[in-house]
Amino acid sequence: MYNWGQYVPGNSIIHRLDPRIKILSVIVLSILILRVDVNAGLLLSVFMIAVIFMSRLTFQRVISSLKPFIVFFILLFLLHFLFTEGTSIVQFSFFGLSITHEGFYRGLYITWQFMFLVISASILTMTTVPSDLVSGIEGILKPLRPLGIPTHDIAIMLSLALRFVPTFLGEVDRIKKAQMARGADFKKGNIIKKIKNITSLALPLVLSSFRKAEETATAMEGRGYKRGPRTYLRNLRMSSTDYAALVLIVVIMAGIQFIHS
Amino acid sequence: MELFTGASMIKVENVTFRYDRSSEPVLNRINMTIDEGEYIGIIGPNGCGKTTLVQHFNALLYPEDGRVSVDGMGTDDESCVEEIRRRVGMVFQNPDNQIVGMTVEEDIAFGPGNLELPSPEIRQRVDESLAMVGLKNHAERQPHTLSGGEKRLVSIAGVLAMKPEYIIFDEPTSYLDPSGRDRILSIIEEINKQGITIIHITHNMDEIVNAGRIIVMNEGRIVFTGSPKEVFGRVEQMKALKLDIPVATDLVWRLKQRGEDIRTDVLTIDEACLEILSRLQNLHAS
Repeated sequence: MYNWGQYVPGNSIIHRLDPRIKILSVIVLSILILRVDVNAGLLLSVFMIAVIFMSRLTFQRVISSLKPFIVFFILLFLLHFLFTEGTSIVQFSFFGLSITHEGFYRGLYITWQFMFLVISASILTMTTVPSDLVSGIEGILKPLRPLGIPTHDIAIMLSLALRFVPTFLGEVDRIKKAQMARGADFKKGNIIKKIKNITSLALPLVLSSFRKAEETATAMEGRGYKRGPRTYLRNLRMSSTDYAALVLIVVIMAGIQFIHS
Repeated sequence: MELFTGASMIKVENVTFRYDRSSEPVLNRINMTIDEGEYIGIIGPNGCGKTTLVQHFNALLYPEDGRVSVDGMGTDDESCVEEIRRRVGMVFQNPDNQIVGMTVEEDIAFGPGNLELPSPEIRQRVDESLAMVGLKNHAERQPHTLSGGEKRLVSIAGVLAMKPEYIIFDEPTSYLDPSGRDRILSIIEEINKQGITIIHITHNMDEIVNAGRIIVMNEGRIVFTGSPKEVFGRVEQMKALKLDIPVATDLVWRLKQRGEDIRTDVLTIDEACLEILSRLQNLHAS
């Protein structure tokens, strides 16, 4: 699961876009895809395919980002497939459930909408260095600063979280191996046994995380960290391509709205 | 902020510290000064208060009683804490928890970013620090892909980027292989040559035979202090504290115990070699 949407190094036009623009685009596209009908949805999908081409990511890699959600997609499809009323495809009903044309198409479309959400988010994370992602989020939240939203703190929290995910996973592995060395078996046993095993992992993990957090906090203080404004190695700066992309997104938004109404 | 320009030193006056009120003091009336440009080794058994002591130097801990000042600025003066932490850098025991950036260069930029330096200045400091620890080609790597030695180097670079006057190394060579150890030690020496004061905590006595001064701690007190020759010359006292002495010193000392007429103020293998050779030559001659 951790590998989901992992950054794929590259130098495509999508890679080089300002992260703020990319995040904004994902938000706009996500709202649009959930609101529009099939025709506009197809247009958006064509646009997304164009973006994938421009990003030079392989389709295979983009599609693989759907994998962790496959059960969810199947359930979503079945739900609409089985519970939508309309003209039946087959001449029988089972406990009042019937398979209908409407259900089939509705199921397909709604599943596609959610796939679209996942794919657009994965394109974002695959083409954006995590740290740029964080500064992008901070940049987008910036207008909220006068409202008392601590955007600097949010940015630090996000980057720390991302920084420590691999460390955390390594720790899980370490504790697991230590338990296995003392005879724990994480594969066998019934569900109760498995839950017990997980608790025996969770406790040391939580304890060690607290210890790590404390040490990290001390180290941060020692390096002069204080809440509030700080400066960065890199500053986000909009280029002409970014403005062009921004205009494009607005045009798409307006266009879809036009088709839709 | 009250800037006192006269004395460049860390001054510890009568410092007592306890982690909680009811327990025994971890530091017990410590007095010491560290002068500009010194290379100081701090040794002592586990739990003797070494780490606790050095964390007072950059205002991570505050004394219960007594006073700590850096270049005349007291750590009790809140307006000075930021500047004290810039001047006194600390390389912690476990580099894993010290690295906070998502890439190497961003981690090194963390300190300068806290100083609110402009981006071009941060970039310059990051590049300089990376060059100093020899990680120039690893700027974009992610911390979890680094080896233990590289992580340590990154945490040193992160401290160097603050342009500190003092750097505290808390067991900087633990968990490292011999080549990683040598690399760290030569960097420490290099940093000291540039005029930065070094405070080096260790259990490995061979690492600090070149220190200017060694402070021996036990149970929250400074037991004795002196040049490496003076400190390691007190072999019995060191052994009583269950502390090691450099291997070379131990060797000549044991020879002496067996009745050999040999000098024992020897710290390195090279010196021991010379001393033993000269003894052998004397034997041959007679």
